[in-house]
Amino acid sequence: MSRLVREEKTAFKMILPYFLIIVLLFIFLIGSNIYSSFTTEEGKFTLQNYYRVFTDPVVGRAMANTVVWVVGSVLGQLLLGLLVALLLNESTRGQIIFRSVILILPWATLDIVAGVMWKWMYNDMYGVLNDVLVKLHIINDYIPWLGSENMAMLSVIIANVWKGFCLSGMFFLAGLQTISPDLYEAAEIDGANSFKRFWRITIPQLKPVIMTTLMLTIIWTINYFPLIYIMTGGGPGYGTETVVTYIYKLGFRFLEFNKAAALSNILFVAIFAIAFVFLRNITKEEAR
Amino acid sequence: MKRSTKKKVKKTITYSLLVFLSVVIAFPFVWLILTAIKTYPDIYAYPIKYFIFEPTREHFDKIADMNFWAYFKNSVIVGTGTMFFSILIGLFPAYAFARYEFRYKRTLLAGVMVFQMLPLVVFLLPIFKTLNNFGILNTYTGLILSYLPFTTPISIMFMRTFFLSIPKSLEEAARIDGCTFGQAFRKVILPITLPGIAAVGVYAFLFSWSELMYSMSILTSKAKQTIPTFLQLFVGQYQTRWGPLFAGSILATIPPLIIFMILQKFFIAGLVSGSVKE
Repeated sequence: MSRLVREEKTAFKMILPYFLIIVLLFIFLIGSNIYSSFTTEEGKFTLQNYYRVFTDPVVGRAMANTVVWVVGSVLGQLLLGLLVALLLNESTRGQIIFRSVILILPWATLDIVAGVMWKWMYNDMYGVLNDVLVKLHIINDYIPWLGSENMAMLSVIIANVWKGFCLSGMFFLAGLQTISPDLYEAAEIDGANSFKRFWRITIPQLKPVIMTTLMLTIIWTINYFPLIYIMTGGGPGYGTETVVTYIYKLGFRFLEFNKAAALSNILFVAIFAIAFVFLRNITKEEAR
Repeated sequence: MKRSTKKKVKKTITYSLLVFLSVVIAFPFVWLILTAIKTYPDIYAYPIKYFIFEPTREHFDKIADMNFWAYFKNSVIVGTGTMFFSILIGLFPAYAFARYEFRYKRTLLAGVMVFQMLPLVVFLLPIFKTLNNFGILNTYTGLILSYLPFTTPISIMFMRTFFLSIPKSLEEAARIDGCTFGQAFRKVILPITLPGIAAVGVYAFLFSWSELMYSMSILTSKAKQTIPTFLQLFVGQYQTRWGPLFAGSILATIPPLIIFMILQKFFIAGLVSGSVKE
């Protein structure tokens, strides 16, 4: 009992200074945002900003797009990240080269660079992607990658998987390296094949890292905008407009700060709910 | 015998897949390099010129003339600062979350994450005003401070995961041997978690290295601006100047690559598995 009290004291000493600063800062910043979402330009109380958000057809479209963007990007990034981590964990030679090329190169590429680089490759006329795919006989005609709404969404998701899978890959790899080889040896002696070993040892052992990575990737992807902004600017039409690109447009293009603040607050509630569910599960898991 | 052939097949498949993935993943960047060393007529040549063209360094000379290296230096200052403080500030909260049992743990952990809940763009205006009030607008300190709320939660979350993977017994053994908490932390815990800490450090560095919106708005004087702001100059509404843009991109990507190669040794498995085995 006294040990627990002592532990608690030490823990609070380590956490509370940081916690208080960050939370007070957040309350201050979000407070100014909530305030502006409930006021008119003249500073009077109003619900108009929220009403205008809910009646704006672009908002609905942007929300649907955000779901597609997040599901596509997160699935792609986590699966590719896991595959790469497993492969790198198996290999011994050429580690430095493989890791540098696969795990760090896309990630080290600046957002703005990744955006213009893919835009250049997707170019209808001079784009290398069409040329290569035609030469490999995978497609017959040039594809206008960023030309139609559905195709543009697929194109930005592909670019985002390329840009973002490294982080999952890196943390999965670090996680894999903390799994004791004894576990595998014991399983092998018990006659478990590699498929079984993967599902019975690797995945359960990796679960804390997977859950953390999944949560962060979902939230980051919802909030990530440079790639879309540079490649399509939300277009064509509203084909790749996500909630975040729309907030940016409202705030800094149309200068409707208060409406942008209202939409930000709605987004905040949604993300908070997602994070709440994840954190509950993560800490419950560890409490066992 | 059968087992060794099985291993060989497995190895061949692993390496073929790795080589294939490397080629596919590196391709966009290779194409970026090739475009950067082409003259404009070659960039817009049709059919596309892949490898046969006269290389040029005109785009590199152009960005050097435009003071690229000054922007580069600024990026290094901000990136190093962000990395250092993200690790330092995150270390103890991360450790406490991983090690100790205490009330409100879940609430506190959720609270730490608040800044991840919203996109950067939402906080830009209030942060800008606040920095202005404190008189640290247009300073490196101001920019680093505004990055920390976004990077420290990540450093805490991930360092916590890595601390969790160390058995408590290891630390207890050190304490029984007469180490103080500080000694146990420095000599036992820290070395094992170095891969995690290094990964977190690289993350924080790259966050600031790549970030455009804040650095552009907060560093208002040209002499202090960072690489993304420089590159943005070449992206126009109707026309993009691919040559200098890609030349600058290549030079901007080299330092993170070098940092990662230096940190490689911290990622090596032996470091972890050797001392964690129970």
